[in-house]
Amino acid sequence: MAETIENSHSDEKPKPRVRPIVRFGIFLVSHSFLVSIVCFTSGVLALFLLPVLAKNTYISENALMPGSASPMLSNQHVSDGNRLVKDLTNSNLKSSETGIESHKIIAQYMLDVGAEVSFHKFHPQMNQFHPLHFFSSPDSGKIQENYSCSSYGINTVGIIRAPRGDGKEAIVLVTPYNALTSSFGEVLSLGIAYSVFSLLTQVTWLAKDIIWLVADSQFGEYAAVSAWLREYQTPKFSSMSALNAEMCPDINNLFEIEVHSMAGSKFSNSFRRAGTMTAALVLKVRDQSEQFDDTISIYAEASNGQMPNLDLINVVNYLAVHRQGLRVNVEKLWSFLNLGWLKSLGEIFESLANIAKSLNPKFKFGIPATEYVEGTAILASSLYYQALGVPTGPHGAFRDYQVDAITLEISPKFSLDKVWRNDIILRGGRLIEGVIRSVNNLLEKFHQSFFLYLLTSPSKFVSVGVYMIAFALLIAPLPMVAASLYVDSNSSSNCSKGDSSTPSAITDTDEHGITIRSWRWLNSAKLVFIVHLWGAIVSVLPYFICQIPDCSPTTSFMIWVLLSILSLLILNSVLASPFACVKASQEKEWALVKSVTISSVFIGLGLMSVINFATAEIGALLMVPMCLLARPLKLDVRAGTFRSCCRIICNLVLGHIAFPPAAFFLLKGMLDGFGSANVGGFWMWVESLWAWNSATYLFIGMVQLPCWVLCVSILFHSC
Amino acid sequence: MEKLKKKIRSFSFWNWVIASIIFRLILIYFPNNLNLSSRPEVSTPLTSFRRLSEGYWLKQLSMSPYAGSMYHGSPLLLSLLGPLTVKRIEGQPNHLLYSLVSVIADVVSAMLIRATGQNLQVAYFGTLKSFDLVKQIEGSEVHSPGDVAALIYLCNPFTIVACMGLSTSPIENMAVILCLYGACSRLIPLAAFGWVIATHMSLYPAILIIPVIFLLGRGPDAPPRKLFLQMHQEKGVLNQSKLPPCFSWGPIIHFAFWALLWSVYVLVLCGISLKQFGGLWEMFKSTYGFILTVEDLSPNIGVLWYFFAEVFEFFWNFFLIVFHANILFMILPLAIRLHHRPCYLAYVAVCSMLKSYPSVGDSALYSGLLGWFVNELSDMQFSLFLFCGYVGVSPLSPVMHNLWIWRGTGNANFYFATTMVYACLQIVLVVEGVSAMLNHDRKLRSLITGKPRDAKS
Repeated sequence: MAETIENSHSDEKPKPRVRPIVRFGIFLVSHSFLVSIVCFTSGVLALFLLPVLAKNTYISENALMPGSASPMLSNQHVSDGNRLVKDLTNSNLKSSETGIESHKIIAQYMLDVGAEVSFHKFHPQMNQFHPLHFFSSPDSGKIQENYSCSSYGINTVGIIRAPRGDGKEAIVLVTPYNALTSSFGEVLSLGIAYSVFSLLTQVTWLAKDIIWLVADSQFGEYAAVSAWLREYQTPKFSSMSALNAEMCPDINNLFEIEVHSMAGSKFSNSFRRAGTMTAALVLKVRDQSEQFDDTISIYAEASNGQMPNLDLINVVNYLAVHRQGLRVNVEKLWSFLNLGWLKSLGEIFESLANIAKSLNPKFKFGIPATEYVEGTAILASSLYYQALGVPTGPHGAFRDYQVDAITLEISPKFSLDKVWRNDIILRGGRLIEGVIRSVNNLLEKFHQSFFLYLLTSPSKFVSVGVYMIAFALLIAPLPMVAASLYVDSNSSSNCSKGDSSTPSAITDTDEHGITIRSWRWLNSAKLVFIVHLWGAIVSVLPYFICQIPDCSPTTSFMIWVLLSILSLLILNSVLASPFACVKASQEKEWALVKSVTISSVFIGLGLMSVINFATAEIGALLMVPMCLLARPLKLDVRAGTFRSCCRIICNLVLGHIAFPPAAFFLLKGMLDGFGSANVGGFWMWVESLWAWNSATYLFIGMVQLPCWVLCVSILFHSC
Repeated sequence: MEKLKKKIRSFSFWNWVIASIIFRLILIYFPNNLNLSSRPEVSTPLTSFRRLSEGYWLKQLSMSPYAGSMYHGSPLLLSLLGPLTVKRIEGQPNHLLYSLVSVIADVVSAMLIRATGQNLQVAYFGTLKSFDLVKQIEGSEVHSPGDVAALIYLCNPFTIVACMGLSTSPIENMAVILCLYGACSRLIPLAAFGWVIATHMSLYPAILIIPVIFLLGRGPDAPPRKLFLQMHQEKGVLNQSKLPPCFSWGPIIHFAFWALLWSVYVLVLCGISLKQFGGLWEMFKSTYGFILTVEDLSPNIGVLWYFFAEVFEFFWNFFLIVFHANILFMILPLAIRLHHRPCYLAYVAVCSMLKSYPSVGDSALYSGLLGWFVNELSDMQFSLFLFCGYVGVSPLSPVMHNLWIWRGTGNANFYFATTMVYACLQIVLVVEGVSAMLNHDRKLRSLITGKPRDAKS
């Protein structure tokens, strides 16, 4: 941007000798229309090329050495796991009143194999939107109030101290388990985890402590894990825990009595810790499945599009495919698989690759069309879940503390009868064992492989260096168009003044003109600033609307819209009016407004691409054409040519699509069908975004919405 | 009509002042949520509030406040502001009193900037009158530089953030502005006091001595005598009374005397307060020594921390000398070129990018001073680009820091990239500002001598 503006300025005063780079800049700015079309199309094309450009994953960290040791999990451990499964199912049948019983059983099993056991009692924390939490660091101890003694969860934690370790590092294994409504899948996942756990107490190679967290998922899996993590990472030195005990004496007593009845030497009532966490695995087993194979699904997206280190996924993928013969799945958008145009696009790419191959056998970049379609579906879901900024499972809680974590969901092939159950425990257990053994080899935390990537299949990825090119091409037109608009509006006002005045008056008008010319953009900047301020107000409003009791989503949304419009009117009348009359007469004011708008959008998109790439990419696809095409409708109507007609149509269509709720309904309609989309749905969606502190919410409120408003105001500019 | 316009403007000036004060007071009530005081952009090792309270605490325990390399500020600040770091009022935010002091310092600075700006405007018009150029200016819209500068200083987000981040930079800035105000309005003891205090607190304002000498010797806006001679040669008359005054050494000797007096006074006070803890030498070592040797390499918005983290240790001394001499190398040629505009020179001197521990408080200061020259810089190039650059960099810096420190997906290079962009922006700002100023001078000269405007381009 520096260059283009710099160059555009030198454009004003032609000098005899111009440096080549300056000349290039001038060329770009003066041909900004063509350049922006080329850049934007190639940006979109590059996005569709990403599945073709995806590279095969490889284990980057040498220390991991996955699968180099033969698995030690034997049938003995499997039968141990089976025993736990049976006991838990029996206890569930007997008393499903409180979960205490099954927690006791699990704790007893853990004690039996010689692990340290403790219970962690937690109160579910409501995910409440607080506008200022975006700015505070993640560990600032949030003060919790309003504990109710009736609702609390119990996490059971078992810790194996490593015989070879120094207790400074740990690997975490998480199994969500709801004792009240335990499904068989959950119990089976406990069985798998227990079989591994019982193996790990015996092995000699363990160098990192193993923490097995049985997360009480009655308030959601994420809440339990994050409560435990919060306690683990940010110990409270205040009297908070003592306060808890005082507040709920009856529960505590009951709890304690039952616990003491298990005479365990290694049982402790206090919170137990091991070292810093190297990695965490969340294990789940799905109850029903329609798969033809035993498959394992990997969920990796954490909050705000953060991903665990690629090596962790690689290890799981390698062990599952090459050692245990499981099929590995990552999420995909199923609706993409049936798109005809995507298929033909894939065929075009394939035939192009074939032609290239026939020219030179060394060109091998083509992939089959079906693979392309599947890769695109996975890429789209990867983008979608990252852009949403909502974690796809309890592993998301770990990422907030810089711990790499993924969720593994095993979907067995057949009904879970005895033989299949043993088989699944054996294979799942061996997979977990292999992963833990690999991670156990690590000397440092994961750092070798990528953190910023998109998956196109479990074994293929697009790294940041590749997908950034597509994004850069998308937003490259913005600074150029901004510079050319700025230069145009400046030079046009200059010419009109210079021609009409006599030479003696030049100095005077020049003096006059200068004060306006160089800082004339300030007026437009003020307008843009006001609209962005309004955007900030709009994004804070839901916090207050939430306080209204008994509000259905639809009414909340209506209140939100009304308040937003009201605040826009108030802001406009308070801040804008006294100044607006001063220079409203300028003919090309809209060009300056557009220039400043485009600059602000460029800044916003650039910033967002650092925070959450996927959001920025999707936002750029919507906003860049709208920003570039925006032009007062009046001018186009007056011109009446074919080109201006096209532009009017494009502007109107984009003006409708880029409005955030409209974009939401379109997206939702495309994914789930238009029947399910309603006004309340948007409110619910927004609510989920801010509950997870997703930066996407801020992006929509403070970049996209103001940009839309500004573009619409340009469209209806009276000139 | 004119009067009415003026009235409206002054009315809205006070409105904006009050609005900015109210905004600060509102922000005081969210100290924990904003967490500004722990941001590396706001609080450097020199200006950090935490370190100040740590130093005060050490002193209360009758230990040296400089023990443990925590505090690196002046001992006088400890005595003045230290008690405020621990004083609490029931039911109010923790550091209410201290924040109020910062707010007051900001407002006082803004008022001083306004008064200085008005002085400058009077001087500027005086010069124009002596050249018979007033007519040409009258038609155009002339902003009151004092009001503009004061508003820029007060409403600048950087100033607000520095004030709310509880750093000591509002107070340091106030000392610098006090010095310039004193020099512009010829209150020599005040100027000397401001200079001594500013130098005492952060060392770098010492180079303000050059603009202050010019200010005292020639007045705030003294066009070159050569120009007068040229102008009158053409007209054939030479009016001696209209000539600007020559460089007078009287006020400078006066200034030197007062500066000496104030510095002895400050040193004696420091000596008394540090009597048990190693005396003045200890103070010099851990304030000036700490500044000059760049001991603390924790990230800030400067570029030196990264450089010295990378460079081999046996080159350290060499590069320390290079970087600090660089400031002088930049100032001296500019002092020759801009000697007739000492205040502008002061602005350039203030925004030395080569400070070892810069913070946003520094950029708040120089952008405020930039407002003094709103009329002269009206045809500055790249204004939109610079504005967008600052707007873009300021949120990028915390985001990169978050990526590096909290998420762990970035590294130091990410943060360093933003600091480099920031440094480049400052360089472009200074270069463009100086060239706009020189263009303005050329234009004035062409108007005076009546030559065709070939010099302008």
